[in-house]
Amino acid sequence: MSKLYVSASPHIHSGASTRNIMLDVIIALLPATAASVIIFGVKSLIVLASCLIAAVGGEALFNLICRKKQTIGDLSAVVTGLLLALNLSTNVPVWQCVIGTLFAIVCVKCLFGGLGRNFANPAITGRVFMLVAFSAVAGGANPTIVDAVSSATPLEVLAKGESVDLLDLFLGLHGGAIGETCVLALIIGFVYLLVRKVITWHAPVVFIATVFVLYLAFTGDVMLALSQILAGGLFIGAIFMATDYVTTPITTCGRIVFAVGCGVITFIIRYFCAYPEGVSFSILIMNILTPFIEKWTEKQPLGGVK
Amino acid sequence: MLFKKKNISSLHIPHNKNTAGLVPTRIDTPKEVVLPMNVTSHAMNASKPAVSVGDHVRVGQVVACEEGSFSTFIHAPISGTVTSIEPMKFRSEQEVLAITIESDGKMELSPDIKKPEFNTCDEFLQAVNNGGIVGLGGAAFPIWAKLREATNPDYNVDTVLINAAECEPYITSDHRIMLEEGNMLKAGIDLLHKYIGAERFVICIEDNKQDAIDNLTKIFEGDSCVEIQPLPSIYPQGAKQVLLYNVTGKVVKGGQRMASLGVLITNVSSVTKMAEYMTTGMPLVERIVTVDGTAVKEPKNVKAPIGTPISHIIEQAGGLKSEAFKVLIGGPMLGTAVSSLDQPIQKVANAVLFMTKKEAAQLEPSVCIRCGRCMANCPVNLNLEGIAAAMELEDEDKKYARLKDLGVGQCIECACCSYVCPAHKPIMQTNNESRKFMKKYQAAHAEEGRK
Repeated sequence: MSKLYVSASPHIHSGASTRNIMLDVIIALLPATAASVIIFGVKSLIVLASCLIAAVGGEALFNLICRKKQTIGDLSAVVTGLLLALNLSTNVPVWQCVIGTLFAIVCVKCLFGGLGRNFANPAITGRVFMLVAFSAVAGGANPTIVDAVSSATPLEVLAKGESVDLLDLFLGLHGGAIGETCVLALIIGFVYLLVRKVITWHAPVVFIATVFVLYLAFTGDVMLALSQILAGGLFIGAIFMATDYVTTPITTCGRIVFAVGCGVITFIIRYFCAYPEGVSFSILIMNILTPFIEKWTEKQPLGGVK
Repeated sequence: MLFKKKNISSLHIPHNKNTAGLVPTRIDTPKEVVLPMNVTSHAMNASKPAVSVGDHVRVGQVVACEEGSFSTFIHAPISGTVTSIEPMKFRSEQEVLAITIESDGKMELSPDIKKPEFNTCDEFLQAVNNGGIVGLGGAAFPIWAKLREATNPDYNVDTVLINAAECEPYITSDHRIMLEEGNMLKAGIDLLHKYIGAERFVICIEDNKQDAIDNLTKIFEGDSCVEIQPLPSIYPQGAKQVLLYNVTGKVVKGGQRMASLGVLITNVSSVTKMAEYMTTGMPLVERIVTVDGTAVKEPKNVKAPIGTPISHIIEQAGGLKSEAFKVLIGGPMLGTAVSSLDQPIQKVANAVLFMTKKEAAQLEPSVCIRCGRCMANCPVNLNLEGIAAAMELEDEDKKYARLKDLGVGQCIECACCSYVCPAHKPIMQTNNESRKFMKKYQAAHAEEGRK
């Protein structure tokens, strides 16, 4: 008889793995990815391909150069690449996609020690970097599926005081970043993540509700409040970025505080500032505040005494 | 607290109670038995041999006496000759003195086996001690010491929770005890009622053992002191802190004794075995062991003498259908992996599990992705991510202060955290290490204080 294997308990495992979680996130992003190709045509495939290749290649190359253990197998680079691509419009040239993605993967993630050690969400930070470096990343592109009159995004239209069609907003038949427009597809992904217990409902629901309530309170206009939550990157940000494990609080209580903060900052930027889109900035700011939120919301264990 | 949780619940783990319907069969007497002098892994609680090499012993005869606190009497489980008394390696690297008895195949009973005499509480406790009864739920803490604490008038223990949750997968030995020795359990409860003075007995059973619930309901019908409490079948329902909260709503605070809350928790098999000794004089020399796991030919329950080598048990239980990759004494969540099949079963061995390579988790830890699953599934709400981070602090004073602040001492070692971790981190081990560190730190500082 061969030697018996000995290790500490427990001797069984739930089967959960980092890779499976990332795979679930990728699956949850597939409806939005499909919608982006349907709405914006093949051009969105170019954006998707360049970001994905840059993300996986960038991480692989970084690990090779730094002689670190290869980590692309955990699929987190695929998630970052895909998520960043879905946050860009078809107007963004390939070279910008590649530089933005490399910044997200190498500067935000790898240089901080890889997955689990980055303080800010790489995809969000990559998008904000591109906003600052190359100006418009979300606007300027028309859906190929319908005859759009104007290439302005709904948020730009709303900022001018005009109204937009709610159904078009829900289905995503308007200009914007390729993955953010189709709210229906994003909600399908959200439900999948909930069913698979990858995320809890707290952060996305509280984030979106906060924006809605604040708009309603300040304007008293239900239609405007609805348009505001359906337009722009709120759904994709709330569902896929405000729920990122690494950069958001670990407890339910903390996640709610985080989401309220995101909602308030998004509202402030959209309502009071000249800038129409606030989701990316709000999440990035709250990412930075995460360690403090965790400190404030720390709980005592059962039977714990100070 | 504004929203008080009604029940602590944690994980749904596949139960795999394949042997629940199987009546235990007594195995053939093994050629030899090995009796380590410590029933837990703490060498300091070792008993002292009372026989010498070459002595002939009979079933039930005392072969080792208690020595110092928390050791127990050990009785010969078979009749035969003592062939060696020497240190051996068991669970840990540390060597432990062990008595080996070679069987004469006769299973002759010792004339010492007779019903103990007791009239007062002290005599009762002494008799329980003489029977070598230990906590069979896993801790192997001598029962008499626990009962003695419960009789302390400062504590006023009035409630006894009989722990029959048996929440670990596979194991059904407590379940079988409740089906087959319900009357003995009743005798045990009557004794505790009389001598410990508790007025309320709650038998806590997970609801996946309906036949046991029915059987005990029938046996205890009309007994106003005894309640049968079905509980959801959720791991770790049988952990003391969890059971206490779910049944009584009470919580043992850090540094508190369970008895100070007026509650005693004891395992159902311990009470039954105690009653067996008190009514017949037969000490704890044999127990029900569940033999299961994906590598066994057919799952079984067996009655085996304490000290029987695992190899003999599996041979008697029908053998393996595929190679065993990992062999456990106890359940898959908290059991101990053994390095060899020569290892004997001890008093607390409620199961022997043979796992194939596929079933046994062999995990390579990766980095924490802060998913929070460990904390969401921790029955006592520990900040496990915080503990792991604190363990990386270099400054010992800061590390100690932070760990103390996080209340790591409240860990019940249920292993839910490690079970769910997608990064495959050994979270429970980190907790154990952190508590070891705290003890060492306290000891070092206590010494400094004396200087």
